[in-house]
Amino acid sequence: MSSTFDRFQENLSSIKSPIEIISLLIKKIEDNNSKCHIILNKPLKSLSFLNNNIKIKEIDYDLILKEKKKWSEKYFSNKFNLELSKTKYKNTIVNDISVGNKFKGLIYICFNKENSNEILLNQINSEISNLIEKENLRKKINEKNNLLKNKTLEIESLFDITEMLNSDENLKPLFDKILYFLISLFNASKGIIFLRDTNSKNFNIQSSFNYDLSKINNRIIRDTRGIHKELKEGFKSRIINNPKKYPLLEEGKLNCISGPIISDKKLDGSIFLFDKESRKGLTTFNNYDLKLFDSIIKKISLTYNNLFLVHSLKDSKKMIDSIMSSISTGIIKINMLGEIEYINESASSIFKIDSESIINNHYAILFHNNQEILDILERAENSSHIFYEENLKINTNENNFGAVNLTISPVFDDGINSGMVVTLEDLSNINKVKSTFKKYVSESIVDELLLNENSLELGGVEKDVCVLFVDIRGFTSMSENLEPEKVVSLLNNYFQKMINVVFKNNGTLDKIIGDELMVLYGVPISYENDNQNAVNTAVEMFEELKIFNNKIKDEGLPEISIGIGINFGKVISGNIGSDQQMNYTVIGDNVNIAARLCSVAKPGEIIISNSVHNKLTNSQGFNLNDPLSLKGKSKPIKNWVMKIS
Amino acid sequence: MSKVINTESKDGLIIIYTDGYLNKDLGEEIQKIAYEHIEKGELNFLLDLKQSNIVNSIGASILIEIIEKLQDVNGNLYLCNLAPIIEKTFNIMGLTKYCKTFKSQSEAIEELS
Repeated sequence: MSSTFDRFQENLSSIKSPIEIISLLIKKIEDNNSKCHIILNKPLKSLSFLNNNIKIKEIDYDLILKEKKKWSEKYFSNKFNLELSKTKYKNTIVNDISVGNKFKGLIYICFNKENSNEILLNQINSEISNLIEKENLRKKINEKNNLLKNKTLEIESLFDITEMLNSDENLKPLFDKILYFLISLFNASKGIIFLRDTNSKNFNIQSSFNYDLSKINNRIIRDTRGIHKELKEGFKSRIINNPKKYPLLEEGKLNCISGPIISDKKLDGSIFLFDKESRKGLTTFNNYDLKLFDSIIKKISLTYNNLFLVHSLKDSKKMIDSIMSSISTGIIKINMLGEIEYINESASSIFKIDSESIINNHYAILFHNNQEILDILERAENSSHIFYEENLKINTNENNFGAVNLTISPVFDDGINSGMVVTLEDLSNINKVKSTFKKYVSESIVDELLLNENSLELGGVEKDVCVLFVDIRGFTSMSENLEPEKVVSLLNNYFQKMINVVFKNNGTLDKIIGDELMVLYGVPISYENDNQNAVNTAVEMFEELKIFNNKIKDEGLPEISIGIGINFGKVISGNIGSDQQMNYTVIGDNVNIAARLCSVAKPGEIIISNSVHNKLTNSQGFNLNDPLSLKGKSKPIKNWVMKIS
Repeated sequence: MSKVINTESKDGLIIIYTDGYLNKDLGEEIQKIAYEHIEKGELNFLLDLKQSNIVNSIGASILIEIIEKLQDVNGNLYLCNLAPIIEKTFNIMGLTKYCKTFKSQSEAIEELS
C-alpha cells in the first residue's frame, strides 16, 4: 500500500507547472496543520499567486550571505519579524533556496508533528528553486527580447532616416520630420535644429519640439560665440552635461546631445536633443547614444549638402529657364546621341510643338518636315564648326511655313564634344513687318530700320528733308472722258510704276493725294545723297512713264503727262493727326515750296530749288530758271529746271 | 505640451483622446486614467491617437504595462488613428500583437460595440 506521500508524488508527476506543484505541496502542509514561510531575496511575481500562508518577504541578500552560518529560528524570528513561534509547532525546519551556487532565499516550515517530512521539505525546496530559475530565465529572455526590440527599432529608424533623407522634400518639412525622428529614437524630451542663413550667416531656428522659443526668438545666433563656436571648432557630436552653461541650451535639465551639420568644413547647422526619458524619469544620454547620434548626424550633413546643391541647381535652372523663356531666339540643345535635351519656349513656338513631348526624342522627330535642317544637322554632327544658314524656309508641324536664321554650334564640356546647340531666329514676324512696311518705304530702308532701331526717330523733330511732288497734268479733263473703272485702273498702274522708282531710290512714300504723289528723302533715315536720289527718282519717273505711256497707248488709253517739283530744307517730322488717326509725315514751309514748284512745272519738267541743286553731285540737264514768285513767298525763289523730251 | 485631451464612455468602451508626444509623461497620464477605470470595473479601452504623431519607446512600454494589467483582469486595449511612424514603432515593440488597431474611431466602434 502506498503511503500518502507516495500518492502525493504520483500527483506531482502529472503536474508540470512549478507554481502548481508548490501550491499542492503547501496545501499538503496545511493539511497537516503546518505553516510555511518562504523568504526570498527578491520577491517573485509568480509567487504572489500562491496561497496566503506563504509569506514572502524581501531580505538583504548580502546580509544573509554574511550571516548564513548563524542562522537560527530565533534569529529569523527576530530578524524578519516573522510571527512564528517554535512553541506553537512541534517541529520547524529552515533551509536555503539556491539556484546553482547562488543563494536566493530561505524556506521556513513549521510542522505540527514530531517527525517532519524531510522529503516534502526538499521537494518544496527544489520546486521553488526551479521556479526561481525559470523566473530568472524569463526575466533574462524578456530583457534580451526588449534589447532586441530596441535594436530593431534603431535599425528600422536608420532605414527610415535614409528613406526620409532621400525624399524630394523642401527643407522645412524635411527637418521637422528629422527632429521628430531623432526625438522618438533617442527618447528625448525636447529638441531644436538650427540652420545657417546663407546671406546673413546667422543661425535660424529651422525646427523645434517642446522647446520654449520665447527665450531665444530675438537672439542673434552666430558661430563666433557660445555652443555654435564650440561646434564649429570641434566639428563632432558630443554630450553636454552642463547645458545651463549655454543660453541656447538652458532648456536642458540633465544633459543634452549636440551635433554639427557640416559641409565643406563649414558649420551649416546644429541639432540639439535634451533630457533623455526612461521609465523611471529623466536620465542622461550615454556614449552609446552619442555613437548612434553621430552616425545619423553625419548622414544628415551629407544629405543637407546634397539638398543644398539640388536647391542651388534648381534655382539656377529656374533662372536659366526664365532667361531662355524671355528671349525671342529659339534654342535647342541636342546631346551626342542626337536627343533633344532642352528646348526653350521660342523654339517650341516656332515649330508649334509642346516642349515636354519632344524632350529626350531624337531631333529627326522635331525636324521631320524640314529636310534642309536635318541635312545641316547631320553635317554639323560630323564637324566641330559652326554652321549658319540665313533666311532658311521652314515647315512647322502645323504645315505652316516660316523663315529662320539657323545657327548650329558644337558644345564642348571640358574639351569633349557633348552635342550641339541650335539657335533659331524667327523671321516670320520680321517678314510681316517688312511686307507691310515695304508699301511705304523701300526695302533697303526697312532693312536698315530693322538692323538699327536707333535710326528711327519718332516725334516732332526738325530735320533736313528733300521733298518731291509729282502730279499728273490735265488729269481731271482726261478722266472725264474715261469710265471710272478705267480711271482707277490707269491710276493704280501708273502709281505702281512710279512708286517702284521711288523705292528703288530709297524714297519714302509720304502720301497719295488724288493724282499726286508726295515723296520724302531723308526720313525716316537720312542718307548723304538724299537730294541726288530725289532727282534720280524724278528722271527715272519720266523714263518709266515713257514706257508706261507706250503701253497704254496700245490699249487705246490717253497718255499721261507729269510735272515734278523738288525742294530741300528744314521741315518738322513726326506723327501728325488726332487720337483716332495719325500719320507720320513732314510739315513746314519747305514742304509747301516743293508743292508750289510742282504746281508750276509744266508737263515734262522737273523744277528743283537752288537748295537741291547745291546738293547734287550730278546736276547735268538742269538750267537756271527764272526766279519764281510763289504764293505766300515775298521773295522770288531761285530754281533750276530740266526739260524731259 | 502632450496631454490627454478627453476621456469618454461610448458603446461599452472608454475612449481616451491624446494630443502630442506619446512619451513617459503622456504614457503615465494614460496609465493613471486607465487604472482608475479598471478599478471601477471598466475593462475595454480605445486609445485614439489622432492628434499624436510622435512616440518614443518609453511611451510604448507604458502602453505594454497597461495591456499586461488588462490581461490580468480579462480587459482589452484597442488603438485607432495611428500615424504611420507610431504604428511602425508599436509593431516593432510588439505592442500590436496584444492589442487590435483600427484605422478610425468609427471603424473601431462599429466592430467592437
